[in-house]
Amino acid sequence: VKSLAAVVAEHGVVICAGSGGVGKTTTAAAIALHGAAAGRRTIVLTIDPARRLADALGLRVLGNEARAVRSDTAGSLHAMMLDQKGAWDHLVERYAPSAEVRDRILGNRFYQHLSQSFAGSQEYMALEQLHELHASGAYDLIVVDTPPTRHALDFLEAPQRLVDFLDRDVVRWFVKPYFSAGWATLRIVNRTVGAVLRRLEDATGVSALVEISDFFVSMSQLFEGFEARVQRVAQLLRSRQTAFVLVASPEEEVLAEAEYFCRQVETLSIPLRAVVFNRVHRESQLPERRLDEAWVRRLAARAVGSAEQGERLAANFFRYELQARGDTLRIEAFRKQMPKRTAVATVPNFDEDLHDLTGLRRMLPHLAE
Amino acid sequence: MDLAHLFQRRLLVVAGKGGVGKTTVACALALEAARHGRRTLLCEVDGVARGAHLFQVPPLGIGEVAEVRPGVFLMAVEGKAALAEYLQLIIPVRRLLATVFKSRIYQHFVAAAPGLKELMTVGKIWYEAERLDDDTGQRRWDLVIMDAPATGHSLQYLRMPAAARDAFGTGLVQREAQRIVDLLTDPARTAVNLVTTAEEMPVNETVAMHRQLCDELGMPTGFLFINRMHRCDFADDDLARLGASAERHRDPRSRTALRELAARAREEAGWTRVNARYRARLARQVSMPIVELPHLFAEEFTAQEVRTLAVHIAAQAGGADQQEERA
Repeated sequence: VKSLAAVVAEHGVVICAGSGGVGKTTTAAAIALHGAAAGRRTIVLTIDPARRLADALGLRVLGNEARAVRSDTAGSLHAMMLDQKGAWDHLVERYAPSAEVRDRILGNRFYQHLSQSFAGSQEYMALEQLHELHASGAYDLIVVDTPPTRHALDFLEAPQRLVDFLDRDVVRWFVKPYFSAGWATLRIVNRTVGAVLRRLEDATGVSALVEISDFFVSMSQLFEGFEARVQRVAQLLRSRQTAFVLVASPEEEVLAEAEYFCRQVETLSIPLRAVVFNRVHRESQLPERRLDEAWVRRLAARAVGSAEQGERLAANFFRYELQARGDTLRIEAFRKQMPKRTAVATVPNFDEDLHDLTGLRRMLPHLAE
Repeated sequence: MDLAHLFQRRLLVVAGKGGVGKTTVACALALEAARHGRRTLLCEVDGVARGAHLFQVPPLGIGEVAEVRPGVFLMAVEGKAALAEYLQLIIPVRRLLATVFKSRIYQHFVAAAPGLKELMTVGKIWYEAERLDDDTGQRRWDLVIMDAPATGHSLQYLRMPAAARDAFGTGLVQREAQRIVDLLTDPARTAVNLVTTAEEMPVNETVAMHRQLCDELGMPTGFLFINRMHRCDFADDDLARLGASAERHRDPRSRTALRELAARAREEAGWTRVNARYRARLARQVSMPIVELPHLFAEEFTAQEVRTLAVHIAAQAGGADQQEERA
């Protein structure tokens, strides 16, 4: 089985997936630093880095621009932050065929109140950006940190959901001004539809249905050729240049989610190449399985010259051993059902939050193991 | 504020960043509420039934209710099922609805319509919080606890009723949305509790979430739970002595043991200091009463650990009477 570092070396695009709170952003930055150290022109596309990491990467200023990181590496390192806010406004401004359509969408009551809840815009923007960076040919390695989602797969499925949202059958229903002949005919021909519509009008008010209909009319113009773009990005994601890296922490909840991800990757033909276990409590190197606790206490007490401190140190050690045993068992169980030939990196718990280049460098040896 | 007051509310939301232990805190709160004599419904949102696992009962189907401990009921809430239930209430024509539910248009629309699932989920929780029992006419639940999804997503849920009210200018949906907003913003009936760990990212999110709750959503807050606190500092001198002693030892086993003792002590001391720093920041920037929960070292997180957290919560937030009773 290869190391994570070897997997990174063989691919031009590395996508870090995983559920929220497992250290995805930090891992993505460390992988990028590793790539730059290996002499490759590298960029990390990040979503919401911790303030100190953003500082370290020179990303205090928002905006979708690549910024050079002073990393003192053989290859260059750039970082780019995706602006989370107003991702839909950006999409609308970018793809509206005319100023009129743009203004009509931005002025729609439903759009204004609900665009914060539209799923998938951030994910879609990240994928568009990835595609652009890749097509530019300016980088040998592009590392992508995915937005925080409940499920690791949401990132991939979001663009398809956008396509579904504008599905032809759905749109055929809505893409007609509400009072047009289309609706009226539908109402007369199909009595079921008529009854549902009457109820809906009672429930939402006619003006709401008019606005919803108008919203779809405008949006459908925005997404001319949208499906083709989604397909193009999907191709890049499934190509041989792309490696998916699943980031997980050794907690039961996270690993259950990660297991689900692993089960899905094959059906979705996602090239899962490596798994990173983050913040793992390491078991001690002592050979015996059952430790003589009294001996450890005596040893500690003698070393620090205090029975009380020795007791505290030993108790702390035993607590960590207990936690470490749990981590090891959970990881072992997880690895049994992982796809074969997937690289594994284990990053220890360390003794601090890692957010700067010095911290990231502490991670590097563990990525190469 | 103490727990007795908190449990007088009808709805408690438990929110926080992914991976900080929201579900375990929500479960512990539910145990305490039941101990206060409140018949409590714990709602898991987004179809993830981790509570069932923690209480060691078989996974629940969507909408299914199980009494997992005396007085603690668990239910998984999911937007699509909640929408179907709601439509059955407002369109009581079974045959017609069956046709609608089966159609591909409906399936696609429900999957993709912005905010619909979130709105229906919160609507269902509101319904349970206000629901009267068919037989007795009494409230079905004394208290409903919503184990919310990760921060960004829980804001989407909590924001939806107001967004829907404003998007639909008139009609039934607007009126119902307004009733949900009324519940969510009423300090006598609702409190949002936040869960975090004392580390950079979760604290950033917590500070931002608190601000949005207060300024944008106008929602009343309850307790701030700082979870997984490391609280065992070791003097640098002692760490140095352990290291020096390790180098002096000839016996490789003793040498390894001393190095490991030092490494684990450094790990614990390091996190203790990180936690103390961010706890101080939380105290400065988030004006909510704090409950500190220790990091529980365990091979596996089980019902026993949930119980332990509940005891810690009672000890710190129980109010004077409770603390005496415990003592």
